[in-house]
Amino acid sequence: MITQAFATSASHARPCLSPISKLGIGLAYQSPLRPFIETSNEVFDFMEVVPDILWTDLGRDRTPRYVEDSASVDFIRQVRSRMPVIPHGIGLSIGSAHRFNREHILQLSGWYEHFQFPWHSDHLSYNLARQNDDEINVGVTLPLPHDNEVLDLLVPRIAEIRSAMPIPFALENNVYYFDMPEQDMREAEFLNRLCEMSGCYLLLDLHNLYVNTRNLAVDPHAFLDDLDLGNVIEIHLAGGMELDGFYLDAHSGRVPSAVWELLDRTLPQCPNLGGVTFELFGSWFSQVGEEQLTRELDRMRNLWVRHQPDPKREAR
Amino acid sequence: MTQQTFQAVLARLVVDPTYRDLVRSQGERALPSDLNELQRQRLIFAAGNKGIDITGTLHKGFRLGKILSMLPLTCALLGNKRLAREVDLFWQQHSSRSFYYLEEALAFCDFIQKRLRAGLRIVYLEEVVEYESARLELQQPLIGEDAPQPRQIRFSHDPEKLLVPLARGRRPRNVPKRSCLLAGSLGSDGSIEWAITPADGNADAASQRDYSSDFA
Repeated sequence: MITQAFATSASHARPCLSPISKLGIGLAYQSPLRPFIETSNEVFDFMEVVPDILWTDLGRDRTPRYVEDSASVDFIRQVRSRMPVIPHGIGLSIGSAHRFNREHILQLSGWYEHFQFPWHSDHLSYNLARQNDDEINVGVTLPLPHDNEVLDLLVPRIAEIRSAMPIPFALENNVYYFDMPEQDMREAEFLNRLCEMSGCYLLLDLHNLYVNTRNLAVDPHAFLDDLDLGNVIEIHLAGGMELDGFYLDAHSGRVPSAVWELLDRTLPQCPNLGGVTFELFGSWFSQVGEEQLTRELDRMRNLWVRHQPDPKREAR
Repeated sequence: MTQQTFQAVLARLVVDPTYRDLVRSQGERALPSDLNELQRQRLIFAAGNKGIDITGTLHKGFRLGKILSMLPLTCALLGNKRLAREVDLFWQQHSSRSFYYLEEALAFCDFIQKRLRAGLRIVYLEEVVEYESARLELQQPLIGEDAPQPRQIRFSHDPEKLLVPLARGRRPRNVPKRSCLLAGSLGSDGSIEWAITPADGNADAASQRDYSSDFA
């Protein structure tokens, strides 16, 4: 199986590690954050946006299928005139076994023509599944087993994505609330193999890793020791909350101290990192407030300047 | 094929607590036949794990969030207990098909309207659901340059005294009778303009004003 994996790897490999733009600190767009984004752009260097929330997918049987929210797209265009905008999708469902969402890639390719983003990303999971003769959208990122057959499913799909847009494509390590027995490999090995075989990069969500640590006793340091951090082009940070005995990836506030420690440890080991992004759900913004959000972004910048070469700005 | 089936069953375990209980109690007998032994083992393990319950809670929260945010007046009128019952019935009949809030909210309006036609009796509900459904239809993403057609809702109670308290999260009581039409259309700036006219449609006697800020 290993021989077969390397053979596949050769046909999909990146020509070399592309130079990733060192952007710095990012903020994930949510509409309640608009006033903050308009007035506080000196505290972050790029904006990440979930493109799926700026268009409506009317469904596979409709023409046109995607209808864009022109007011929101205009806002993104304004931001793009000041700083890079990075799409981070939720609608691809790259791991769905019953079909590959090629229309989504086509739609995103159109956006690439407009916004010329330096890289793009999505989630390593599935949310679309067959249900009788129809399809269900679970609305949460369901886990894929770390198996060879999943690699076989993903690698040709990533090749299609890479050929559709000539920029780096990254997948985000998933969050889990239950485990699966007898997987072919551990998560870090799976991610390393996926990047090696397909030429994709990794969006390392440290809060997802922390959630898995809290709920499933994953050892975050063993995970990071085993992970090829040369594949990481972006890091996500967020806060969470507890519910029914679980710690949730709720994007609900401040970054926990354990996640800051993971960032401090990881940043110097990621030579191809383009940026670190803070995610906050818009509905929590009024509770967190502008001051606290600015403090989180400043703390990210201080670590970035300390650990990453070629910083764009001085520490504040 | 087995990967497809595995994913479909895992998704069902998340969205359907009744099926989850069935797999918990019956084990392999509740699973489809086209799964391999390892997939069966994983699904039974998942069904018995509390993590699948919390994933189900997240799924429900995602779906309920759509209805709460898109139909605040209907939700305020129904109240928490009645809303929970109606949403449960709705979910039994409508699976989650889309990320998008509008599709789910319009489907819920349609469901409530069918329930009303089938005999559900909740005072003011028909008018409130029709109003919110019209508002959502006016806000649908534009395809091409075609603006949505204006909408008219027939009221038998005073729209202002009914909708304004609901917009503030309060259930109104003893709303005065008033036979009238509430007409909504999309303004040039994309906001919805509302105007009340008498039920006989006499435009001259209309009390027209923009209620969008009151009801939004």
